[in-house]
Amino acid sequence: MNEPTTYDAIVVGSGMTGGWAAKELTEKGLKTLVLEAGRPIVPEQDYVEHVPPWEMKFRGLGDRRRQLEDQPIQSTCYACDEWSSKFFISDKEHPYTTAPGKPFRWIRGRQVGGRSIMWGRQSYRWSDLDFEANLRDGIAIDWPIRYADIAPWYDYVEDFVGISGEALGLPQLPDSRFLPPMELNCAEKTVRGALAKHFSGERVLTIGRVAVLTQQHRGRPACHYCGPCERGCITRSYFSSVNATLPAAEKTGRMTLRPYSVVHSVMLDARTRRASGVRIIDARTRSTVEFRAKVVFLCASALESVRILFNSSTPEFSSGLANSSGELGHNLMDHVKAGGADGIIPGNDDRIVLGRRPNGIYVPRFRNVKTRQPEFLRGYGFQGEGYREGWERGVAQTGFGPDFKKSISQPGPWRFTFYGFGECLSNHDNFVELDKQTVDAWGIPSLKIHCSWSDNELALRKDMSIAASEMLAAAGAYNIQPFADDEPPGFSIHEMGTARMGRDARTSVLNSYNQAHDVKNLFVTDGGAMVSSSCVNPSLTYMALTARACDYAVQQLKKGEL
Amino acid sequence: MERREALRLLATGTALQLAPHNFLAALREARKLLATQSAPRTLNAQQFVTVKTIAELILPRTETPGATDVGVGEFIDLMLTEWYDDRDRSRFLHGLADVDVRTQALFRKNFAEASAAQQAEILIALGDQMAGNAGRMRDPREDSDSLPDANFYLMLRRLTLTAYYTSEAGATQELHFQVIPDSHDQCAALPIAKGSPEN
Repeated sequence: MNEPTTYDAIVVGSGMTGGWAAKELTEKGLKTLVLEAGRPIVPEQDYVEHVPPWEMKFRGLGDRRRQLEDQPIQSTCYACDEWSSKFFISDKEHPYTTAPGKPFRWIRGRQVGGRSIMWGRQSYRWSDLDFEANLRDGIAIDWPIRYADIAPWYDYVEDFVGISGEALGLPQLPDSRFLPPMELNCAEKTVRGALAKHFSGERVLTIGRVAVLTQQHRGRPACHYCGPCERGCITRSYFSSVNATLPAAEKTGRMTLRPYSVVHSVMLDARTRRASGVRIIDARTRSTVEFRAKVVFLCASALESVRILFNSSTPEFSSGLANSSGELGHNLMDHVKAGGADGIIPGNDDRIVLGRRPNGIYVPRFRNVKTRQPEFLRGYGFQGEGYREGWERGVAQTGFGPDFKKSISQPGPWRFTFYGFGECLSNHDNFVELDKQTVDAWGIPSLKIHCSWSDNELALRKDMSIAASEMLAAAGAYNIQPFADDEPPGFSIHEMGTARMGRDARTSVLNSYNQAHDVKNLFVTDGGAMVSSSCVNPSLTYMALTARACDYAVQQLKKGEL
Repeated sequence: MERREALRLLATGTALQLAPHNFLAALREARKLLATQSAPRTLNAQQFVTVKTIAELILPRTETPGATDVGVGEFIDLMLTEWYDDRDRSRFLHGLADVDVRTQALFRKNFAEASAAQQAEILIALGDQMAGNAGRMRDPREDSDSLPDANFYLMLRRLTLTAYYTSEAGATQELHFQVIPDSHDQCAALPIAKGSPEN
């Protein structure tokens, strides 16, 4: 029996944004085909968060030889460990190239759920400080939207996702609709108090705002603090598409989820200038299949969606579909990190942490908020945590014997680490192009990435190490170690900007509703759409933009405009 | 195939319902699996005893199990066989041989046959050398916190502590680790109550 090939909508990708597109489009009545390049995920079989280290062959150190062979890039990510490496791609099957002297770490997951399975779950709203930034600084182009345009959609997605956190009333970091916040530990409370005392409200420490439930929410139970969310969550207490949006889409009876479907290209009807559907390669049979729909949503990630559009070129769009602006693939951004400091916080020796809280602390951006910083534009926020040192501190000690064993089995001093996530400026010269010589395991041309930090990002990183050290010193820390490491872009895994929105079709790929200027029934709602990068984690904004774009697309479809 | 399944297969022939060629293949796989776990594959008998002796000196049996009880030696042999590259393995084996060279020079015996006091003296010397090397001997390929280590004793200590504290006994009895914590509290009072999870 032949499978149906015609749908109302096609969604490419089943991760963070694909899951939202699937939910919204099906709930609005569209028969929707969701194409996922990777394998299906069955939580009962695939989630491994409750497998203890003694059941792992290498006790969590990973199968080094296999990873060096198959995942030399992916395994540099902390989450790609012995448990979770199966949620990351094979670098051998998915090669890419970079410009000489410009390393870029492209970390990817290909399975139902995509990277929403392993994401860090930090969830922050952007503000008008972000949406107005390019206009104010004369960088790149202006965002076509403002906070007021997206605020109701933040409300909408937060009501479904469930974000725990503390309301602060800060203009640069608008509050979400919060579930109760997680608790700070003793060292974190000490640092919070010191910041309040020494930085007169300019620097504030709060618990991370995180897509992990602290109470029952829409049928999903509260987190049980087992810790390693990146391995899955059988109670569905953290948000992922597998845990929340895809089941909602499934419930409508209008979703067809097709794993093992590697999208090769979007097909264009040159006469109507509309996407007629997509062409896939079945990952198992290697046969080509074409699906048709009235509207196509690309939700495959900033770089993968662009790669699909490059591979969809036509005589009219010879440099990539929907690329009349020439901006497709350009303006690649990622957050600059690897700057911060750690130290030891004295006191609280009689206090410990019970349970493994899957969340840290957050210090909202304080640079270039009220005062101007002469050395750089924009700013950064700090993530971090306080924790008691564990047995690992005994490795480099020289002791041995019963007393040594007893002492290192006890918790060590309280350490505290701040690590910054800084805004990356949009830059036309950071771009990707098709590399026809390098093909993936299905013969599809891959990308060559040209991306490097500018002086502004490097100045932010340096300032992170200074500001973090100041805060630790204010909290009475000792052994303060600032760091500003030379880490290439890509490793925040927040790549974005390669199909940016804008008001002008000559300088942007998408309009203010994530709709391609050139192809009216084509939408890109992943990180590609971003015009600037803010310094906060972007997933919540991707989700809100996706829900907003779906609402618009369905309205336009009903009006016959697509 | 898991070790448990392999044992059951060899003991009872529970795979008899399989087609004959599959059954033979399963038997071969089971024997191979068990063989690989029954004896060290990289360390010879003397090296294995030396490794186990040092590991037990670092983390001895007390009111809780020690390094030998939780199979630290077996884990180290696994790592040497399947994890390290040739260079790291040979560095470890050289360092291990040097332990006997030192003990012979001082006490005219191999390490495993030396007295407890003599063994302690050797470990103190290895520790002094490790501390002196800190910073200078870092393997430039790796972050300072990760394997492999340039110093043999640091490498051995990391393997010993890792194997111990990630073992079921080490994690649950020493660190009070629970896969699913009974409770969570960010500022709980010491002493650690029985059954409370590790930090």
